[in-house]
Amino acid sequence: MDHSQWLVPWGPRWIAETVCSMLVGVACGVLGVFVVLRRMALIGDALSHAVLPGVVFAFLLTGVAWSGYGAVGGAVGSVVTAVPEPILLLVGATFTGLLTAVLINLVVRFSRTKEDSSIGIVFTGMFAVGIVMISSLPRSTHFDLKCFLFGDPLAIGRADLWMMGVICPLVLLTIGAMYYRLKLVSFDPLVAAAMGVSVAAVHYLIMGMLSVTVVAGLKTTGVVLVVAMVITPASAAYQLTNRFWVMLVLSGVFGAAAAGVGMSAAFVFNAPTGPAMVLVAVLIFALSVLFSPGHGVVFDRIRRRRLARHVENEDVLKSLYRSGPRPLAGYAAAVSADTQMSVGRVARALRRLRGEGLADEVAGEVVLSPAGVAHAETMVRAHRLWETYLAERANTDPAYVHEEAERLEHAHDLAERLDETLGHPDLDPHGQAIPRG
Amino acid sequence: MTDSPAHPLEVRDLTVAYDARPVLRSVSFRMETGQMLGVVGPNGAGKSTLLKAMLGLIEPDFGGVEVFGRPVDRVRRRLAYVPQTEGVDWDFPVTVGEVVLMGRYGGKRWFGRPNAEDRAAAADALRRVGMTDFARRHIRQLSGGQQRRVFLARALCQGAELLLLDEPFAGVDAATEKAIFALIEQMADEGKAMLIVNHDLSILDRFDQVLLLNQRVVAFGPPEEVVTDANLRATYGGRLSLLDEADETLRQRRNTRDPHLARTT
Repeated sequence: MDHSQWLVPWGPRWIAETVCSMLVGVACGVLGVFVVLRRMALIGDALSHAVLPGVVFAFLLTGVAWSGYGAVGGAVGSVVTAVPEPILLLVGATFTGLLTAVLINLVVRFSRTKEDSSIGIVFTGMFAVGIVMISSLPRSTHFDLKCFLFGDPLAIGRADLWMMGVICPLVLLTIGAMYYRLKLVSFDPLVAAAMGVSVAAVHYLIMGMLSVTVVAGLKTTGVVLVVAMVITPASAAYQLTNRFWVMLVLSGVFGAAAAGVGMSAAFVFNAPTGPAMVLVAVLIFALSVLFSPGHGVVFDRIRRRRLARHVENEDVLKSLYRSGPRPLAGYAAAVSADTQMSVGRVARALRRLRGEGLADEVAGEVVLSPAGVAHAETMVRAHRLWETYLAERANTDPAYVHEEAERLEHAHDLAERLDETLGHPDLDPHGQAIPRG
Repeated sequence: MTDSPAHPLEVRDLTVAYDARPVLRSVSFRMETGQMLGVVGPNGAGKSTLLKAMLGLIEPDFGGVEVFGRPVDRVRRRLAYVPQTEGVDWDFPVTVGEVVLMGRYGGKRWFGRPNAEDRAAAADALRRVGMTDFARRHIRQLSGGQQRRVFLARALCQGAELLLLDEPFAGVDAATEKAIFALIEQMADEGKAMLIVNHDLSILDRFDQVLLLNQRVVAFGPPEEVVTDANLRATYGGRLSLLDEADETLRQRRNTRDPHLARTT
C-alpha cells in the first residue's frame, strides 16, 4: 500500500492527525504507568479487543432507519443523529470496556478459573461477539474492520481531534487530583483497603479511563497494537526512575514522542503509521533497558569493569609495596605469580598506576611514588582492621580472615569507621601492627 | 455489659467458611489497652483469615468483630494493619519517606493531599524506628528488617491505637527480630494494643497474652498458663479429624448456602 498519498506531508491536516495521535500517546502513556505497576498488561490488551461489540453496536445504531419505529424510534433516531459519531462509538465502547472488567471479576469470583485465564476467556468471547455482529450487519452498511484492527490515520477527523483534546487533559487532571490515592492503591492495595479506601472504585476508575483512551486511540494504532502504546512507554519510564511522579511524566512524554516521531517516520519511510509508532516506542524501551543509569545493562557493565580495574590496580600496588623496587624486565611475570592475574592485566594495571602517579620507573626498576606508598599503607591498614573486625565481631576463625579481608580491603573508605567501632586496636589477629591512618 | 472504656478489640464467636469449609470456628477473644497479643498456629490455621475478618475485608458467616466497641468500618482511623513485606512490589517507584507518608492518606478524601502536619508526622515516625537517614532512599535498597521497620513507621504515622501485625518476624535474623520486638514493646508501653500474628514459638513468653489457633481457639491466656506441651501439640499436631470428616460430609450433602451448616460445634 502506498501511504505517501494519504496526506500532504507537514500540511495542516497532517499536523492535526499528529497532534491527535500525540494526545493519545500522552494519555495511554500516563495510564500505562498504573497498568505496568499493577501488572494488568493483559487486562489492557483485553480491554482494547473487547470494545469491538460496543463499537459495532454504536455503528449499528447510526445505520438503523429509526423513523420506521414510531414515536419512540423517532426520538431515539434524533438523539443518535444529534450525537457526533465518534462520541457515540466512545460511549458504546466504554460501556463494553467496563462490562469486560466486571465480567472478568465475576468469572474469577464464581469459578476456580484464575485471573489470567478469565481475562483470556472474556476478551476473546467479546471480540467474537463483535465479529459475528459485523457479519450480520445489513449489506448496505460498510464496517471497516481493517481500520479497527490496524488503525487508519486517514479516518481521523476533526471530531476525533476535539474529543482527544478533551479526554487527554481530563485524564491528566483526574490523575493529578487523585495522585496520592492512586499511588497508595497501586503500591499497597491491602493496606489501602484496611484504611477504608475503596480499592475497587479506584480499579474501575482506571479501567474506565483506559477504555475511553484506548477507544479514542483506536484509529491511530488499531486494537492489535494499541496495548503497546499503553505498556511500552510506561515500561521504559519504569527503567529510568525511582519516583512515581517522574515515571508518570516520563511515560507521558515517551508516549507523545513515540506518536509524534512515529508519524514522521511513517512518512519518511513510507510505512504504516500505527506500527511505526509502536516501533518507536519499542526503540525507546530498548534504549532505556540498555542505558538506564540505575539498572541499565550498559552502565552496569561499565560500573563492574571500573570496580574490577580498581581491584586490579590495588592488588598490583600492594604486591609492589611488599616486594619493594623490582626490575622492569620480568616484573609483570613476578606480579602475575603473586596476584594470580594474567601478565597482560598486570601490565595494563601498572600502566594505569603510572598514569595516576602512584608508581614510577627509575633506572630500569619499578618503584612506588610517595603517593603510592601512602595508598598501599591505607590498604594494609584497611586489611588488618577488617581482619580484626571479622575475628572479633563476626566470629570468624582467625585462620580464615585473610581471604575475606583480601576482598574487603578494597572498601578502604570504611576504615575510619571500622577503627572507631573496634576501639582503635593496635594489633590484628595475627599479631601484626595496624598502621595509623 | 462491660465497664466504661471499650476494648480495643473484641472478637465474638467468629466463624468464617470458604465454600462451606470452615476456616475459623467460633473464635472469641478480647484485647486490653497496651497489651501485646501473640497469635500462633500452623499454616492453614486461619491466621490470615482472622486478620482479614478483623479488618472487615471479609464477611464472617457468623459472629463478629468490634474495634473500640464499634464496627470496624466506623473506626478505621483508630486501627492500622502492618502486612507481610512479601505482599508488595519492592521495585515500585517510591522512596522510604513516601511509603511512611502513605499512612496519612487513609484520612484523606479522594482529592486529598498530605500537608505539613502529615509530613511532620511521617518524619517523626521514621525517626522513632531509626530510619530517618533512609527517608530519601528507594525502597529496593532496604534489607528485610528495614522494610519491616518502614511498614511499622507507616502504621505509627497513622496514629492508630490498635495495630494488627502479620508475621513481622518472618525471615529476619535474631538481631533484627530483637530490634523489631523492642519497637513493638515500646508501642505497647505507650498504650497501643498490639496484635502480632507470629510463627516463632521461642518468643511466646514475651507476649502479654497468647492465642493458640488452629481453626478454633485451642487456648487463650497469659503465656505461662497457656504455652504448655499439651496445648502446643493440640495446636500443631494435626487437625481435628472427626470435625473435618463431618464438614466434608456436610459439604457434599449441601445444596443450600446456609452458613450454619458450616458450624459443626
